[in-house]
This record gives sequence, structure tokens and C-alpha cells, in this order.
Amino acid sequence: MAVDRHAEEQQLIALMIAYQKGDADAFSGLYEALKRPLIRYLWTFVRNQTTAEDLLQESFLQLHRARQTYTPPRPVRPWVYAITRHVALMHLRTMRRRKEIMPDEDLPEVPVPPEMDQLADRATVQRLLGALPRAAQEVLILHHLLGMSFEEVGAIVGISPGTAKVRAHRALKKVRQRVIEEGA
Amino acid sequence: MSLDAIPNGLREAIENDLQPVRPLHPVWLRTMLAVAILAVVLASVLAKASLRPDMDQLPMWLSWGCSVLQLAFGVLLIGLALREAVPGAGIPRGAVHVAAATALAVQILVGIATSVYSPAITMPGSGVTPGIGCLRHETVMALPTFIATLWLVFRALPLRAPTAGLLGGAGATVASDAVIHLLCPVANLSHVLVWHSGAVVVFMAIGWSAGAVWERLRWRRAP
Repeated sequence: MAVDRHAEEQQLIALMIAYQKGDADAFSGLYEALKRPLIRYLWTFVRNQTTAEDLLQESFLQLHRARQTYTPPRPVRPWVYAITRHVALMHLRTMRRRKEIMPDEDLPEVPVPPEMDQLADRATVQRLLGALPRAAQEVLILHHLLGMSFEEVGAIVGISPGTAKVRAHRALKKVRQRVIEEGA
Repeated sequence: MSLDAIPNGLREAIENDLQPVRPLHPVWLRTMLAVAILAVVLASVLAKASLRPDMDQLPMWLSWGCSVLQLAFGVLLIGLALREAVPGAGIPRGAVHVAAATALAVQILVGIATSVYSPAITMPGSGVTPGIGCLRHETVMALPTFIATLWLVFRALPLRAPTAGLLGGAGATVASDAVIHLLCPVANLSHVLVWHSGAVVVFMAIGWSAGAVWERLRWRRAP
């Protein structure tokens, strides 16, 4: 698994270098490799399929405009996710300013990390995850679902790796506690 | 693989602007650029100005020692600002708070130590006139490095631009105060706290505001 992650990261770095040289196919490769995990990540912010897809496009536009700010051979994913996160936060800020609220029926399923699948039935875990604060959800999704290290999570969110670890641990503990409480 | 699988709007935007770009230089190299400007400014001031009158009476650790400490810390803050400007490489919020607080603490502690060890207040320090003089000198010395740092910060993509600006402002002034500390004839604590530390606070605030304005303009232009 660790080897796969390393190979995947090396492939992203190679694509990013080619993209910086003006290779359109490299951009397509990056888009293909990153669109699904980015959509999953964006759901922690907007929970609306259409908006998440719009934000994904906007994120890739921002990545394109900022492509010179990636310095090889640094890992690509923290760079990509940090920009995507900022796009999502700016969107939320605009929504708050306009006082726009998403209708409840638009809320999609919260992705469930594999570690949490056996805690209870999927619907319960999804509901409990959805009730967590966004900061906790974000760390859980990045680490447990998208497989980022806590160093990478810290770099994306702007916190120390230790804080990211504590945040993920507390969130998991909270979900477990709620499962036990509800079971009782 | 082609761009066909990509949504039309995005594909067109990419196709219309796909010229090669040169990757940003590493943070240490960009820091060195800002440090080069800082070195030229500070060296030219040191070459022309005379050292403080009580220089011989101050212990070495307090005169040159504190000056080197301030310079090193200023350069570190500039480096942090430039690191903060790169997406996905930002420094943790806690570290930002510690860096900003330490910048002020260094100024205050150097001021207190100087006022304790200086044999005499060599100039009346409570007046506004010498204070404005110091603020002017500090501004003139810090400004080139501050502008260069902000330029380097904004050439990257700071996702917390006010934070990067604040660190850049703190770094430029703390480093410049390393030389002011060797030149200013006023050892009065109130003078150092109000005017020297005040300059750091003012530049931090300007850096923060410049970052906020840049952020608003940058993301307003976003499609």
C-alpha cells in the first residue's frame, strides 16, 4: 500500500512537471487522477453535488493559474488540496455573505472511511459523521478516506501534524461514543 | 489522453493558456533574494552612520550580540513569510502566533536590557522628535526589504495572505532594528518600546492589510 502511494505520488510529480512545461495530456492525467478524491473532499465543505462539481472546475482553474507555484519534487497533493480547500472556503464565505443556505434535500451521503464501516450500519455512521464539526470531518476524510499522512493533512489545513492527529483521534472517539450511546 | 473528458469551460480555459511556466524557486533561494536587499541597505547605513555613543560601555552580548540575534530572527521571519506564501507549505497557526509574539518580545527584551545596562540616557528619550526620527530611519531601512518580501510573497499564491504579509512586515522591521539598535543614541525604555517596537507593530499591521487587500483582489478576479 505504501509502495502504491509512493508510486502514485511520483506519477503525480511527473505529470505536474510535464504540465508546467505546457503538456495538455499531463493536465488531463492530473484531472483524471485527482477529480474523484477532490470531489469527495469538497463534499465536506458544500455537500451538494452540483456545487461540488462547480468548485472542482474552479479549483482546477485556480491550479492552472497557480501552476508555477508548485516546486518539484515536493509532493503534489498537499499543494492541490490546499488550493482546493481555499476555493471551497472562499465559496462558503461568499455564501455566508449572501446568506444563502443549501436546501436539506441536497445533502449527499457523507463518505465513510473504511475504519469506521464496522462501527455500526452505514447510515448511522454517515449521520454521526455528518454531525461532526467540519474541521473534524475534514481531517477524518483527508487521513482515513484519502489516505494522507498527518504531515500532509497539517500542510493542507494549516495546522501542525500533531494537532491533525489529535483532531482525527477525537473525532473518531466521538463517533464511537455516539454509536455506543445510541446502541445502549 | 486528450482534454475531451474535461468539462468544456475548463478545457477551453486551459487550451487558451497552456504556455510553459517556470516553477517558483525554493523558499530558501527567495529568502536569500530578500536578504541580499536587506544586506545592501543595512551595510550602506552602517558604513555612513556613527555607532551609538554608549557602544563601548555596553557588553558585547548586548550591543553586537543582540543585533545579530535580531538580524537572524528577522531573516527567519522573512523565510517563514515566503514559506507561508506557497500553497500546501503553510506554517501551522500556532507557529505563526509564536513567531509574531517572539518578534515583539525580542524588541521589548532588547530594549529593557539596553536601558538597564546603558550607563546614561545619552539623549532625552521621552520626546516625540527623537522618536519620529527613529521611526523615519526604521521605515526607510525596512521598506526596501518589506516591499521585496511582499513582492515575493504575492508572486506565489499565499492562501493566508494577511498572515504572510504580517510575517514579512515583522521580519523586515526586526532585521532593520538590528542596525538601529547599534545607532540609536537613546537608551530610554519608553523610547525603545514606543518607537522601535511601535515600528514593528506598524509594519506588521501594514503587511497584514496589504495581504488582505491582495487576497480580496486576487480572489475577486477568480473566475
